[in-house]
Amino acid sequence: MKKNLYFLLSLLVLASVILAACGTPATEAPAPATEAPATEVPATEAPVMGPAGTEPIAFPDGGKTVTGAWSQEPDNIVPYYSQMSYAVWIAQLTLVGLGEWDADGNFVPELAVDVPTADNGGVSADGLTITWQLKEGLYWSDGEPLTSADVKFTWESVMDPANAVLSRTGYDKIASVETPDDYTVVITFSELYPAWQTLFTQGPNNAGSILPKHILEGQTGLESNAFIHQPNVGSGPFVITEWVPGDYMTLLPNPNFYAGRAKLDQVQIKFVPDPETALAALQTGDVDWYPDFSESDIETVGALEPAVHLLVVPGASFEHYFFNMGTVEGVDGQGKSDVDGFCPFKDIKVRKAITLGINRQAFVDSLLAGKTSVPATQWPNSGWTNTSLQPDAYDPDGAAALLEEAGYTLGADGIRHGDCNGTDTKLSFNFETTTKQIRVDIALAVQSDLAKIGVEFKPIHTPAGTFFGSYADGANMPLGKFDMAGYTTGFYPDPFSDNFFCSQIPNAENGAGNNNYHLCDPALDELLTAVNASADPAVRKTALDAAQKYIYDNYYVVMAYARANVLGYVDRIEMGDMSDYSNRNWNAEAWNVK
Amino acid sequence: MWTYIARRAIQASFTLLIITVLCFILTRFGSADPMAQYANNPNMSAADKEALRERLGLNAPLPVQYFKWLGLALQGDLGISFFSKQPVGEMIAQRLPNTVILMFTTEIVTVSIALLLGIISAVKQYSATDNVITAFSFIGFSMPIFFSALGLMLIFAVKFKEWGLPYMPTGADVWDKKDPLEYIQHMVLPVSALVIVQVAGYARFVRSSLLEVLGLDYIRTARAKGLTSRVVLFKHALRNAALPLVTIVGLDIPFLLGGAIVTESVFAWPGMGRLFWEYAQRGDFPVVLGVLLIISTAVVIFTIITDVLYTLVDPRIQFT
Repeated sequence: MKKNLYFLLSLLVLASVILAACGTPATEAPAPATEAPATEVPATEAPVMGPAGTEPIAFPDGGKTVTGAWSQEPDNIVPYYSQMSYAVWIAQLTLVGLGEWDADGNFVPELAVDVPTADNGGVSADGLTITWQLKEGLYWSDGEPLTSADVKFTWESVMDPANAVLSRTGYDKIASVETPDDYTVVITFSELYPAWQTLFTQGPNNAGSILPKHILEGQTGLESNAFIHQPNVGSGPFVITEWVPGDYMTLLPNPNFYAGRAKLDQVQIKFVPDPETALAALQTGDVDWYPDFSESDIETVGALEPAVHLLVVPGASFEHYFFNMGTVEGVDGQGKSDVDGFCPFKDIKVRKAITLGINRQAFVDSLLAGKTSVPATQWPNSGWTNTSLQPDAYDPDGAAALLEEAGYTLGADGIRHGDCNGTDTKLSFNFETTTKQIRVDIALAVQSDLAKIGVEFKPIHTPAGTFFGSYADGANMPLGKFDMAGYTTGFYPDPFSDNFFCSQIPNAENGAGNNNYHLCDPALDELLTAVNASADPAVRKTALDAAQKYIYDNYYVVMAYARANVLGYVDRIEMGDMSDYSNRNWNAEAWNVK
Repeated sequence: MWTYIARRAIQASFTLLIITVLCFILTRFGSADPMAQYANNPNMSAADKEALRERLGLNAPLPVQYFKWLGLALQGDLGISFFSKQPVGEMIAQRLPNTVILMFTTEIVTVSIALLLGIISAVKQYSATDNVITAFSFIGFSMPIFFSALGLMLIFAVKFKEWGLPYMPTGADVWDKKDPLEYIQHMVLPVSALVIVQVAGYARFVRSSLLEVLGLDYIRTARAKGLTSRVVLFKHALRNAALPLVTIVGLDIPFLLGGAIVTESVFAWPGMGRLFWEYAQRGDFPVVLGVLLIISTAVVIFTIITDVLYTLVDPRIQFT
């Protein structure tokens, strides 16, 4: 026994010594992990005569490497089979499309020579035929030529019923894809498809990677194919060479990238679920950038300057509050909800008063450090924004006057009440949203603002999984069992949305409808339908401006703030122009270290 | 003994069957809706969503879904993840070793320190040392794990670097899991965080168990025989006092396989806890059920092993 005790004690001492000795020396650099042999390959320009290589460029000794921390791991890389932003981000690094959106929201070519327009003959007069011209001398990372046949194969693969893609939206409107030569792709639609720019292209909310025919041809059930999960051949600036599930991913430069070899020699992505860890890791230099901070971290990250830089990019998605406009009767027999929304919201004066009664700029300034803005419409920060509209300023007196005008007078309890369709109704209603901290903070601010004008605003915070549940699951939003609700959405890069259509109101016959506003306004239906009446972006913009103004004038939604993407990065890296959330890796080939 | 084990195994298989039913029901009603994340996807039409629901098998009646899953599970096939489309068995196999290494190291360190602290506390009952040990172990015990984990990271990684001292990695770096030194380096903070929280329970257990034994007649007899206190303590007292510890450790081991959700998340440790948590949030039923099945099977098996071991270390217990 005595011997055993000594053995145990010795073990403990030994363990303590090991624990004490294994601190990281302050100067030690992380050892770069690489699988490929360390032979240096010279940088190349865009290949014209042949492929510059057949394998990803091995990481050279002392090469330029950066490590990013992402809060989630992509499930699949090919975005036809995933809806995760993280999948889109990796696709932007590895499997590109014909075009993409740059940091300013401009539609620019990628594998194509130029974006099709009516002027360059790319868009036919009737808008039904789109012709893309590919760059010459394109190669996959394995040295095989990338041609129009790959584009056609991509369409066939998406449309093949044997492949379980998440969505065929748009691709199912294509009647044929012709490839008169290796560089020309002629897409003919069976009906007008104004959002054609979102097909075969990479952008926020859409990712149309071109798939390699030479690898996937003849295979079906691609949803379970190893390539879909982890493509080992690519067309982007990098190629995935190693992926340890739940841990990290290593990407090395693609020798055949159309714009030339990426400036970095290696990119590693580590999956770090906790933003606090990422913050600590940025400070110790364990990671170089973290793109997943939330808006409530703006101040914390900003305080770490100059060692860690803060980058806030207001995007095209937005946080908005909206009124339940549902009616059991519907309008002209259509757009019926299962239940009626809160009666006073049918009055535009009440909706306007609530909008004027919330000091939106104040919470943008205090809770979001003034780094984003209150948008006027649901198409903020993009080329589709109706710039003639400005958000209403905070005006509690004006709001109170409007409520008086609408017949709602202050009661003894400080809450207004008045007649609504023959019933004395208190201006007291629930507001539903998720449990996200910034939503809790803002809801409290709104509650306090509205109390000042005699409106009782009662926030209910539900976990996102329940809040966004479906009609079949009995979730409140599709069932119409709420007064007011709030969440983030965005209509970009294609501006069209049927979220406002009468036909999309969820009810017993149409449980899958996506009109959570339960708003049926035939005039708005008509205005939004006009947005999709042409394939010409200029014509669509005019129509959308009118629709934006109509929603704005009718106070159907309260725009809270443009969602901002919050990044932290260490001083040594240069990431160039960062674009909107889902589109932020659009120029990864230009990333560099100082 | 073999008859005993066989009988327990038969009982265990029924227990497991009931557990699978309960897990299945809990997963379906307690976890997120796998379709919720698609609710606001502008690119997915209602038909797309319906097709996906059908593909995931969510339209079938629950009993059909259960028996389909059970039938495959009995053949060793835990199904395919809804989202990653990877076989669940493979996903678990990738993460299990990391969890086993992290959690078993934690258990060994915890039990070793707890034995040491428990013995000192019991032998020096009500002394200043006992009081200090008790106080500190309770502080550790009452600390939420995320607090101790982030606290350790802030001090030994961030602040140590700031002060120019050798500092620990946060776990957010990319490191080579084949290098034992790097592995140990990266385990120090998570293991410490877990030990701080867990050690108090065990230490108190050893202390009270030892105190109880030290008060028994045979210990007095041993002392009366003129044996040294050390021999009395380690040869006579501790051996009996440690017996209940075997049960506790034995029953804890299967839960170790479930990993530590918070610690693994904070230190970006690619283990079972994170796998479970990340996929449960998205309502990936096959992964959630797979992890639960592995853990419950381990619990059942280790209960039997513990019972058998107990009879081996304590001759007073007989198989019946």
